[in-house]
Amino acid sequence: MTSDRSALNGAAASPALDRLGRARAIALPLVALAAAVIAVLNAPTYYVRVVDMVLIYVLLGTGLNMVVGYAGLLDLGFVAFYAIGAYSYAILASGQFDIHLHFALVLVIGGALAGLAGVLLGIPVLRLRGDYLAIVTLGFGEIVRLLLNNLDWLTNGPQGISRIDEPRILGFALAEPQDFFWLLLPLVAIAFTLVWRLECSILGLGWAAIREDQDAARGIGINTTFAKLLAFGLSATLGGVAGVVFAAFQRFVDPVSFSFWESLTVVLIIVIGGLGNLVGVAVGAAALIVLPELLRDYAEYRMLLYGAGLVAVILMRPRGLIDRRYNPAWVMRLLGWR
Amino acid sequence: MQSTVLMSAVAALALLGSASALAETKIGTAGPLSNAEALFGKTWQNGMQLAIDEANAAGGVGGQKIQLVRQDDQGDPKQGTLIAQKFCDDSSVVAVIANFNSGVTIPSSDTYNRCGMPQVTNSSNPKVTAAGYKNLFRPMANDFMQGAAPATYALKTLRAKSAAIVHDKQAFGQGVADVFKANFEKGGGKVTSYSGVVATDVDFSALITKIKTESPDVVYYGGTMPAVGLFLKQLRELGLKSAFFAADSAFLPDLITTAGASNAEGAIVSFQAPPYDSSPKLMKFAVDYKKAFNEEPGPYSAYGYNQAAIILAAMKPAGASPTRAAIVKELQATNYDGLMGNVAFDEKGELKEPSLFLYKVHDGKFVLEWPKTGS
Amino acid sequence: MAGFLLQQLVNALTIGAIYALIALGYTMVYGVLRLINFAHSELFMLGAHISYFLLAVAAANAGGAALTLVLLLVFAATFVVVGLIGVGIEAAAYRPLRGASRLAPMLSALGVSIVLQNAVMLFVSRRPLPFPAFLPQLSFELGGAIVTAKQLFIVGFSALLMVGLTRFVNATSFGVRIRAVSENLQTAQLLGININVPISLIFFIGAGLGAVAGIFYSSYYGIAVFSMGFIVGLKAFTAAILGGIGSIPGAMLGGFALGLLETFGTGLLPIVSAGSIGTEYRDIFSFSVLVVVLLFRPSGLLGETVTEEGMVYKRDF
Repeated sequence: MTSDRSALNGAAASPALDRLGRARAIALPLVALAAAVIAVLNAPTYYVRVVDMVLIYVLLGTGLNMVVGYAGLLDLGFVAFYAIGAYSYAILASGQFDIHLHFALVLVIGGALAGLAGVLLGIPVLRLRGDYLAIVTLGFGEIVRLLLNNLDWLTNGPQGISRIDEPRILGFALAEPQDFFWLLLPLVAIAFTLVWRLECSILGLGWAAIREDQDAARGIGINTTFAKLLAFGLSATLGGVAGVVFAAFQRFVDPVSFSFWESLTVVLIIVIGGLGNLVGVAVGAAALIVLPELLRDYAEYRMLLYGAGLVAVILMRPRGLIDRRYNPAWVMRLLGWR
Repeated sequence: MQSTVLMSAVAALALLGSASALAETKIGTAGPLSNAEALFGKTWQNGMQLAIDEANAAGGVGGQKIQLVRQDDQGDPKQGTLIAQKFCDDSSVVAVIANFNSGVTIPSSDTYNRCGMPQVTNSSNPKVTAAGYKNLFRPMANDFMQGAAPATYALKTLRAKSAAIVHDKQAFGQGVADVFKANFEKGGGKVTSYSGVVATDVDFSALITKIKTESPDVVYYGGTMPAVGLFLKQLRELGLKSAFFAADSAFLPDLITTAGASNAEGAIVSFQAPPYDSSPKLMKFAVDYKKAFNEEPGPYSAYGYNQAAIILAAMKPAGASPTRAAIVKELQATNYDGLMGNVAFDEKGELKEPSLFLYKVHDGKFVLEWPKTGS
Repeated sequence: MAGFLLQQLVNALTIGAIYALIALGYTMVYGVLRLINFAHSELFMLGAHISYFLLAVAAANAGGAALTLVLLLVFAATFVVVGLIGVGIEAAAYRPLRGASRLAPMLSALGVSIVLQNAVMLFVSRRPLPFPAFLPQLSFELGGAIVTAKQLFIVGFSALLMVGLTRFVNATSFGVRIRAVSENLQTAQLLGININVPISLIFFIGAGLGAVAGIFYSSYYGIAVFSMGFIVGLKAFTAAILGGIGSIPGAMLGGFALGLLETFGTGLLPIVSAGSIGTEYRDIFSFSVLVVVLLFRPSGLLGETVTEEGMVYKRDF
């Protein structure tokens, strides 16, 4: 908070610096964007595909971070919402029932369905805390996966749904990883902006209060029920949106992609990155997706090294790679936006 | 300024490209190497390694040594596509043998198709070839054959009237079980129960106790090892004497060790290769494999060897610098006398004359029970 | 039908006993550190593998009456070796994180679990090992159900271990210290207890019991494989939660309850529902029961009722 204010004061004190800051604020993102354009146009497609995966996990991490990082409720079944989003697109835009809805429409439907599921899950588990909540959400995640595997008439069971439609946006068909990069980048930017605004809003403060002490939060007049449900619903919505994009990207979904491990991966991302911090989510997603890719050539030794690396990172930085200090506000200051 | 950056990047890429062209010619492969299916993935890839080592020992293809690049997809579709992209980007990879699981092959074939990569797959689900990609080949029988032959055998030879079917709710297990069910019912048999279990289950006693009340003539298990062995063991221990059928993943000595020789006696397993002692080629393969890896071949080792051999044969006409397009073209016209019989593909990339053999466990060994060739 | 039900009951008790033994390890660790020890399932797997090699040595060097003694020695040796591994993991991967957020040790445990599983796959065996049947292959009929000597042994020996553990925790000075730290870590520390001793002891006993469960499991099903831990561990953990995590009798009850639920889900649900719900709904059924139980009894069947005011930790994570 103090550093926040001093930065503001500093900016206000000197108009020349302010002008410089504003120039920087406009120039730096433009340079970054230009660099991204050049990189994506030139990089081997494999790298772009890895970046796409990172961005999908950033979306997932941003969603889960609202529940775990902001409100302090451990959710081990987040994959359920991801799956609901993915299967929404798979069912509504493929030959499965010969329904071919537009991608943008399914993005809304998938997000809404997942959000609804989040609120429905939230209502009964409001009473639960800590690990009991974790286990009930884990159970919910498993139930959703098993239903996807068992309801063959709807989801085609273990065979999965293949040949999902390529999304078309404004006449462009999205097929290559490069195309999806241009879809994911704005999605992540929008999600970051919205979630960051939420974190700074009164609701975000309410979540923080619930996280620190639920009883005290209720005592000072926070409607904890409403705040928790909103956290569940909003986080699930983001999970659903990520799922829709994933299904369109892979053009294939099956229950294997939505196992308990996937939930754990997203939890790992936000904890390794730094709980409750959007910058941490981005760094965590990059670390946890890129690390196994770097280990690719070790073939069967890959997972051993991955596990060892995981333990090492947690032991060295138990509070995550990125300190809470380095949050989006810090990034914006760095860019000279304040 | 932008254009200079662009140009230098392009130049760098071109340099990279030329550098890798000088490197060895590579064949890529991706399968499960670190999950519960690691045994299958590893021994399958060992089979390819054997074929490639033999070719290299004989001077390589067109004087070039061939390198097998093994990757671990963990049976996970998104890793399968990432690896596919990696192989596509690497111009020294001229063909791939991928993937092991149908659920991984279906999405990865999209990526391979986009870069014209010759892809030979080990996934038996009929849907794998549904897209009609010209660069995708399956030198083995699909689930239709694998499930149909045991049903015919049960009806005709065993004169079975009723069958209890169990499957593991996976693409492969449920796939073959569905085909068995359809064929068994079509032939006039009665399916007393059709039950799904979990692939990682080890305790089937509750289900078997229930099946016992149905007293079926035949029990068909659609799934993979080690579950098949455990199921068979518990089936016999709980006193159910029905004839037992399983699919090719159970064609492993482990079936007998897991279930116990007396419990495994009489169990029937479908497999696509003729007996190892039926042809000099197969006998040599079994001996060489044991010498190279110090263990018995896995259930898919022969498939892996065969798949690599087919690609190597298709690389030969192009000489020292085979291109992906040339190999695809050769593969389409393949007429190759492989480890498991003649290999030729139809326009969908399916094997023209798939074969299937039923083996019966007798005195702790697999003995050929029902030879059948044809489509 | 009576025979059918009895058989299912026997099936349920056997699998339940194994779940219960593993659940004990989860619940004891959780009771003290409030840590979901994901690595526990791999200790169960290690127990099976270590005893596999010990048994091979034992079988080569002993026979007849001496075999029983050797078997007990193998059990004890496996218990001690895996127990020490458990203690080592705690000291290396969890203790440095004691002051950090509660999620850090849980994820560290996850990393340890990945390492152990892959290490066994790479350096021991990728192929399922045929586990020797060291128990006599006896079986007899009881009211239409087939009961094997193995089943009786597993249920009997597990019950013995659980009674022993309960006595140990309730009636020895070590037990008092264990209960003290699980009641409240900080207060126990203030009272002058060196908390590292009981914590190490808990990891030793928990891991050892998990290892014995591994031997039972492998000898019962005749197989030991590197990937056997994760799913069984998840189920045993579910059992611990169902019974009331942190409670030793709860873990036992939870184990047997889960065994019954699964057997019911597979054996009876399709019959009761006239075929409309197949056996593939077993796990959905078990998880649904778990969720419903927790909604009505938020701290499990035998767990202490935690009122929201009574929560020692205000912050969950």
